[in-house]
Parts: sequence; structure tokens; C-alpha cells
Amino acid sequence: MMISVRVRAFARYRELFGERFEVTVPAPATVRDVVMAVEESNPRGMGELLDSGGRVKPSVIVLVNRERVTGSHRDDHPVAGGDEVAIYPPVAGG
Amino acid sequence: MFQDDDIFFTLPVYAEMQGMIWEKGVMLSERERERYSRQLPLIGEEGQERLHSASVCVAGAGGLGSPVLLYLAAAGVGHLRLVDPDRVERSNLNRQILHAEPDISRFKVESAAEKVRALNPDIRIEALPVALNAGNAQTLAGGMDLLLDALDNYEARYHLNRAALDQGIPLVHAAVNGFFGQMTTIVPGETACLQCAFPHPPESVATSVIGVTAGIIGLFQALEAIKILIRDGEVAKNVLVVWDGRCGRLDQIPLVRDPACQVCGKGDWQ
Repeated sequence: MMISVRVRAFARYRELFGERFEVTVPAPATVRDVVMAVEESNPRGMGELLDSGGRVKPSVIVLVNRERVTGSHRDDHPVAGGDEVAIYPPVAGG
Repeated sequence: MFQDDDIFFTLPVYAEMQGMIWEKGVMLSERERERYSRQLPLIGEEGQERLHSASVCVAGAGGLGSPVLLYLAAAGVGHLRLVDPDRVERSNLNRQILHAEPDISRFKVESAAEKVRALNPDIRIEALPVALNAGNAQTLAGGMDLLLDALDNYEARYHLNRAALDQGIPLVHAAVNGFFGQMTTIVPGETACLQCAFPHPPESVATSVIGVTAGIIGLFQALEAIKILIRDGEVAKNVLVVWDGRCGRLDQIPLVRDPACQVCGKGDWQ
């Protein structure tokens, strides 16, 4: 079964992928599945969200339904149909 | 101005922050009364005296540090400690607006201190041309009422964060890249610390920034500093204020203190 997940992207990710959109992923889905679908939505975004091992880059801020998801099991955090996943790339310059 | 209608929550009303030291009964001179006459009706003599009595460490005298220093000096913050090891380069001048062509190859803190002293001779400026590191962060933060992260790298930021937590001093973080910027206020023991907010630093990417971005975020940081010092208004506790200059949007992303944080929590992540 496929589910639809709402995505909200900020800053550079908004420019690359769009501000608000939906991705369709197979259930049961995880944060990693959703992020991978987002990255695959734009060839110019390749390498922006996932590292070479296919994991969500640790620096990316991820929220599911407006709650921050952190920790070593973040990639496996479950995402249900209709959930909102938000992504933000922290910046470093001063 | 906050347009976000999706990720939202309420900023906590200002509460007393630990680590702040106020001198009582500092008298304003006639000159100061005149200098600050347009802001005294807003913040009162008590607010002005709080600014006058405050010691603020500004770590970084570059893109963020420039507007921060200018506006804190203009507002009358009595003691500014500038920390930056770098010298002015021509490529800095698109955004580091305290420095000019004749300052090239001078220490940034020296160049900055000169401009800030000219702007406001009634305040004390300390110019320290050193790199903030694990060995000196505690000393540099010592005696300060507020720490401002106007740095350009997360390694130094984490050292400043640790010093803030160890000494119970509020810290305002800011960072920029391109048309984008972010800012948050860290109150030790109360909010997410910098390590909770950013457990992993972003990859180093070639820095490119339009000067205005550093100006906008630096001024958010300066405003935050003033509100903390005069103890008025709401500050960005447990939220990351995120500026998207390409479409002129300001959003807030919630931050939560991580009980397992290796710096401010139990550190049981290992």
C-alpha cells in the first residue's frame, strides 16, 4: 500500500524541492523513506539530504508533525499517511 | 512578521535568566541622557542602566559581529569584549561592514574597536585577537552577562556553548549562509543548548553570503541581546528563528532540550 506524506522544506531545501508538497512512499514508511523520496524528486538535490551510505545526513534537522526527531534511530522513525515531515539545513557562516 | 501558519507555537514570556549580574544605581551623565534620549522613553532609565552595566562577549568580528557591535555600542552596552583571531581581507568587505579598504591586514578586533569607540566613547571595548578554543573559552566568557555567537564555525561554537553552560551565562547563537540565516537564545538549564539544537555540525561548504543576510541576522541577534539585557519582551528560547531572504520569510522551528545531550544532559548517548 502506498501512503501520501506532506513535506515542508525550509531555506535551501525549499529552493531545491519546493516549500510544501507531498510524496508517495510504500507503507510502512520511515523518515529515511520520505527523505529519499524528497531527494529523488529533483536531480539537482542529489547528495543534499542523504549521505553516501544512503542515510539521512546527521546535520539535517528533521521534524515529524512539528516535533524534532533526533538520535541514532532517527532514520527508522515511523511516518504515517498524512503526517508532515519538515526538513531544514542548518547554516554555519558568520 | 512571522508568517508561518504551520509550524507554530508560543514564545515563552521572558523570565529571569540565571547568570546575570546587575549593578544597581548607575547614574547616567547628561551626555548619556542626550545620546539615549530617543530610546529612554522605550526602555526607561532602569533599562539604560542595565545596558550600561552589562558586559557582553561578542565572539566573531565579521559579518554578524559587525552589525552586532555597531548596534550594541550605539544602544549603550557598557562593556564589549571582542574576540576574533583574523585579519581583515578584501573579500570580507561585502558583508563585514565595520571594516573598510584601509583596514585590510589589520586585526578585525582592532579595526572594529576603533569604529565602535568613535561611535560611542562612553563604553569600554576589549579587543582580543585570539581564536576561541577549548583552552580559553571559559576565560573569555568569565565575568560576562551575555555571550553572542557571531562565529563562523561549529567547533568554536561548541566551546562557547560549553562555557555558557558551565558558567550559567545566556548565549545567543546566530549563523548565516547565502540568503539564509538562523538565530536562537540558549539559557543554561532551561533551554536546548547548542549541542541539543545541532548535535552534528553542518558540512563545511564554500561560504558565500550576501552581506544583507549577515546584517539582518546580526540585527536579530543584537535585538535579542538588548531584550535579554533589559529583561523585556520575548526571546527565542527553544526555537530556531529561520530567515529565508529569497522569499522574505521568517519561520520558527521548535527546539527541545535533549535529556541525553552529551553537554547539557546526562550524556548517556554513548
